[in-house]
Amino acid sequence: MVTDMKDVQDFKLKPMKCEFNFLSKSDGSAILSQGDTVSLVSVNGPLDIKMTSQRIDKSTLEVLFSNKNGKPSVENRYKENIVKQTCEAAILGSLYPRTGINVTIQELEDYGGFLACTLNCTCLALLNSGVSMRNVFAAVSCAVDNQGNVILDPTHAQLQTSTATMTFVFDSRDKSLITCFTDGCFSQDAYREALERSRSASDLVFAFYRDIIRKYCNVIG
Amino acid sequence: MNVSIDDVVLPGDHCPEIVAAGEKGKVLLGPGLRKEINGVFITKPGVLRKRTPNTYWVDNYQKRYVPSRGENVIGTVVQKAGDIFRVDVGGSCAASLSYLSFEGATKKNRPAIKTGDVVYAKMLNASKDMEPELVCVDSHGKKGRLGVLEEGFVFKCSLNLIRKILNPHCPLLNSLKNEWPFELAAGMNGRIWIKANTMRETLALGNAILGSEYLSNDEIKSMCKNIAVLLAGHVS
Amino acid sequence: MSEVYKLIHPVKHFNDYISIKTRLDGRNFDEHRNIKLNVNSIKTADASAVVKCGNTTVVCGIKLELAVPKAEEPDLGFLITNVELPALCSSKYRPGPPSDYAQVINNIVSEIIKNSKCIDLKDLCIVPDKLAWVVYCDMVCIDHDGSLVDACIIALIASFKTLLLPSVNYDTETEEIKVETNERINLKIHGLPVATSFAVYEHFQSQIILLTDPTNYEEEMCGGNGSNLIISYNKGLLCGIQKLGGGSLSTENNEEAIRLAEQHTIAVEKVINACLEGKGTNK
Repeated sequence: MVTDMKDVQDFKLKPMKCEFNFLSKSDGSAILSQGDTVSLVSVNGPLDIKMTSQRIDKSTLEVLFSNKNGKPSVENRYKENIVKQTCEAAILGSLYPRTGINVTIQELEDYGGFLACTLNCTCLALLNSGVSMRNVFAAVSCAVDNQGNVILDPTHAQLQTSTATMTFVFDSRDKSLITCFTDGCFSQDAYREALERSRSASDLVFAFYRDIIRKYCNVIG
Repeated sequence: MNVSIDDVVLPGDHCPEIVAAGEKGKVLLGPGLRKEINGVFITKPGVLRKRTPNTYWVDNYQKRYVPSRGENVIGTVVQKAGDIFRVDVGGSCAASLSYLSFEGATKKNRPAIKTGDVVYAKMLNASKDMEPELVCVDSHGKKGRLGVLEEGFVFKCSLNLIRKILNPHCPLLNSLKNEWPFELAAGMNGRIWIKANTMRETLALGNAILGSEYLSNDEIKSMCKNIAVLLAGHVS
Repeated sequence: MSEVYKLIHPVKHFNDYISIKTRLDGRNFDEHRNIKLNVNSIKTADASAVVKCGNTTVVCGIKLELAVPKAEEPDLGFLITNVELPALCSSKYRPGPPSDYAQVINNIVSEIIKNSKCIDLKDLCIVPDKLAWVVYCDMVCIDHDGSLVDACIIALIASFKTLLLPSVNYDTETEEIKVETNERINLKIHGLPVATSFAVYEHFQSQIILLTDPTNYEEEMCGGNGSNLIISYNKGLLCGIQKLGGGSLSTENNEEAIRLAEQHTIAVEKVINACLEGKGTNK
């Protein structure tokens, strides 16, 4: 894919900071901030679950999402569904049949790109918990403003004036699209451009994961 | 992404070295590696290691134990059911320990084990499809070091800390063994049992073990020296 | 014999069909099922439609109510969609509160309608800050055989097109509301949003197959949580792309899916227009 210099400059995503083992009692946990957006994810598993929820060929993945005000809503179920479908593709559930893997997500701050931050944080928490995975995944969000320009990783201010926002999740093996969801109205060309830009930007997220794991392995020895 | 030995790896990375070695002879794939149709892929994040001649694995950080055959584990008896004890080893399913898997046990002569006892046992059978099974004897019928652990103190830690302190190159146990008398049992399921003469010595030992998780070998030696000095100062 | 084979070797059974480039009901990968549409089926509702895409049957009913607009949005009316998946539509659903999947479908449908901007909430306002219409759209699935979102959107749009809002006289001094049920005006619809569902199947770990308008069985084989890819069009602009589960897509698959969705949109528009002109109901 040919990228000109303008695209290379726009590759910058918001600065990401992460901490592993944030929660002492979980099997794996991570807190991730992308710019001002912060989310906290805890993973527990493989666990013992009720006979009725057990599946004989793979583990049962359950996702629980709580937003800041704590009230259950239909939108939360939708977000849970997105995280669940993305994780099911990545986790090797067939190695843990008749068990459950629980992912719990807590929204801490939302200043744009929250679901992308949550999906990245979920991936980091899964890496921390030692559950076998087929591949890692990276989420990138972008927005289309009213002139039709595509902005990667929009800030809160940019989101207020955008006509559409899109979030793409890519897998690490061949950068194909695992999950995608959009909000608002946009043209086919805007979609294509956003997809390609996000695909290139996902390299930065994968590099971040590798960096974090490297730092952690150096400390553990 | 393609990786090689001693690299930091993420799930989904591919290792062509292992595939090449596999074409020449037998290759043993340890934890964190998986053979798929188009190559050998990594499934856990960590460092890819090799032991000559042909064993490969990934060293990763993990707190949750997944039962595997042949490992020595520390479990707590949670229930007596018919002919077996149910033992919690920290996995997704409680393991079963038969009455007859103790030295000198017969149908008439049952071992004196109550609910809540801590046992050091060996995994006889553990696969993803079945409930794991433990034994407290070796194949000759001898107890060895297995069996009930009396008194002492059990605490949890991560699985890689266990492997680190049991590594012959790790200076932790060597530095501490001459300082004060203690007993230690390390279960591969992330549980450690320690017993020393006084409470202070037990706690000092426990703190030394937990503190060595993030330290290098030299730092571990100096930490142990500090702890021994502090302890000697108190015991008088 | 093939029923036994389907039970014992479900994946192999499905793969055999895919390998000879056909599906269980004989369609090609990019063919969609017949659409049967009927409007004004429910006399007690202000507008209604029943749609059958193959076996998937969805009934949509619209009721109108009057309410006071929200203080922070005084010139906007209300549009409330609700999708129900009762226990009779499939053995997967139990009676009781809406399942998680029903809530997800509800969210997807309401997002598509909101993002397509086919209904301007300002048109639902009668007197700013005093009176506005509340449009309750209830979609009930009677038979769930895949592509639920497609059917819901078709039923909903067909109902909207036949919805007639009664004219309302509001006396500002006496606060008296007079509804003239005989004089009715059409609700203004901008465009005609259409959703296209796909199931994304990973054939032998390398080939990605897109199945347009999947049946329930095909959705189960591709992950088991509904359609994997839903693309919605309105007036030539994309108003929603959701990809959830199933195999992962490369750029070529994406292009193909968008192209197929465009074709499907044109076909569905023809069906809806034909039905509304009262000429016929089959595709």
